[in-house]
Amino acid sequence: MWLVYLKELTELLRDKKTLFFIIALPLLIFPVIFGAMGLVVANVALEEQQKVLKYAITNNNQVPEFSEALFYHRDFELVELALSGDESKRDAVMSGMVDVVIDIPNVHSEHIDNYTQVQWRLFYNDASQLNLVKQKIEKVFEPYVSEIQGELRAAQQLDDALFNFLTAPIKLVVENTADEREDIGEKVGGLLPYLLIVLCMTGAMYPAIDLGAGEKERGTLETLLLTPISRFAIVLGKFFTIMTTGVVTALITVASLLLWGYLIGEVAGVNVVSKVFTTVGVSDLLLILLMLVPVSAIFAAILLAISIYARSFKEAQNYMGPISIVGFLPVMVAMLPGIKLNWTWALVPISNVALAIKEIVKGTVNYDMLAVILLSTIVFAVISIVFCTRWFNKESVLFR
Amino acid sequence: MIEVKDICKTFQLSKEALKNSKKNVLDVRQDGREFHALRGVSFSCAQGEVLGLLGPNGAGKTTILRILASALKPTSGDITIAGESVITKPEISKQKIGFLSGKTGLYNRLTARENIEYFARLHGMSKQRIRDVGEQLYAQLGIEPYLERRVETLSTGMTQKVSIARAVIHQPEVIIFDEPTTGLDIMATEVILEFIDAQKEQGVSVIFSTHHLDEVGMLADKVTVINDGTTRFSGTLSQFTSQSNESDLRKAFKHFLSSDEVAVCG
Repeated sequence: MWLVYLKELTELLRDKKTLFFIIALPLLIFPVIFGAMGLVVANVALEEQQKVLKYAITNNNQVPEFSEALFYHRDFELVELALSGDESKRDAVMSGMVDVVIDIPNVHSEHIDNYTQVQWRLFYNDASQLNLVKQKIEKVFEPYVSEIQGELRAAQQLDDALFNFLTAPIKLVVENTADEREDIGEKVGGLLPYLLIVLCMTGAMYPAIDLGAGEKERGTLETLLLTPISRFAIVLGKFFTIMTTGVVTALITVASLLLWGYLIGEVAGVNVVSKVFTTVGVSDLLLILLMLVPVSAIFAAILLAISIYARSFKEAQNYMGPISIVGFLPVMVAMLPGIKLNWTWALVPISNVALAIKEIVKGTVNYDMLAVILLSTIVFAVISIVFCTRWFNKESVLFR
Repeated sequence: MIEVKDICKTFQLSKEALKNSKKNVLDVRQDGREFHALRGVSFSCAQGEVLGLLGPNGAGKTTILRILASALKPTSGDITIAGESVITKPEISKQKIGFLSGKTGLYNRLTARENIEYFARLHGMSKQRIRDVGEQLYAQLGIEPYLERRVETLSTGMTQKVSIARAVIHQPEVIIFDEPTTGLDIMATEVILEFIDAQKEQGVSVIFSTHHLDEVGMLADKVTVINDGTTRFSGTLSQFTSQSNESDLRKAFKHFLSSDEVAVCG
């Protein structure tokens, strides 16, 4: 078995494609991609921030101070439009004539004078993720409202305490009980299992195709099957090679991300990576690594079984797409808000490890539960290997 | 001595294969979802004999050779090498058989030496034995100058020689060649043919499937013709021509394919 393992590893390490996927991609390409993405997002945000909003306003004679403040504000540009019904206001936004319509009722002054609440409406497209329309308008709106409140206080001769009570009778003050580690764990801990587990799978994908369907296509698998070594030993040799590449890819990628994160953090003055390092101990990192081993085993066995079923390299590549979704889903589920590690989730393969890694990073892990997770994942990995070996013994699979 | 006795092999057709078979001319071997690839194939090859396995495409040549090499299990029948069953003791038979197909079965990213030694070690050979057998074999095939080169950098002829070394490094008693000269140029073909001849001299049983009747004429002591999964002829080269009343091998081959006559001469 180790003979097959060493040979497969030697061959993989001499393959430029494998080296690219396992070492070059995580070390260089990912930081470049993330950097480029960050740059694009930052540019879009800056653009949105600096964008001058074209607006139309109804009944501006009711709010002369507000209208004037808006008119002279550098973020806004008035567009004169004759707007009657709601339909025309929506059309003005949808056609792109304006970014926003501020609809002020013609009874605004009357309501204010009678101390009754008045309702303004904003018509704008709120579908975009980066939409600063409301925030920008609030910058002008809030001082205007404060002014009205101030006038009311003066007119009614209210003292500060009563005025504060009227505007906010109850104030909620949050006292965060989470320590720094839990806080970081909650923020980073969700991303870490996603990265690690998904990388364990993607890192194993190319070697799995090469060692199964690739060997079949090149005719070397048949030669291997004719040697006295048992098929179980062949499966194990290939399986351990794929598993190794999966774990190594995940580790190199995380190391690369931490390194780049640290370097960028040093330059930009952000110390998230240093904080993670100081709060999560070495034993916890080893525990995370331990959790990844059976997960990689599950992926390696499943990917190898699929690869060996495929007639060719191309066919195997076609199968890998849907399989990736099967791998991603349990991790995604674990990232959903409200999903917490409990005894039921501890038995769900892959999701349990994702949740456990999050708990380890947060420092709130239950070690009994961790043992169950490890055990259940190992059981699932063994089942996957048995399935893979059985498939490897089927003539209808090997000689399709 | 290798003896193949009444080998049958039935495959279950996949849905895809079943669908394709409906579009084509019905094969006599198909029975619903079952495909009887071999329906009683028998022949034998003694030590130092070369047997040429002939048959049209799809006749079952590769299937019988894969069964001989223990890659496939037969549905019924038996194969013995020096009296030991290949079917019941596949591990033992794998030690006694060397197999070379049209595809070289070499790992491109390993060197020629790494390839040969890898397969030798899979056959349980010690380092010392690999060295001893290897030196002799490398000299015989003339592959020493490029033993340290990766297979991907070798020419077709060089690759073919390395793959021969890979197939026989464990000194098998029987060597099986599945269409070994298909797609090869004259020089590479020559390497294979010379090697088969040399093995014959050393007392090894050689079974080779081919479409080239001139190769059969040059090398074979015996001929077996398979068609539609059954043996149509099995006997010596002289019996092959005499029983068909044809002096030309091509015509003799056609004779056994087209007539209903079955001749197994033992």
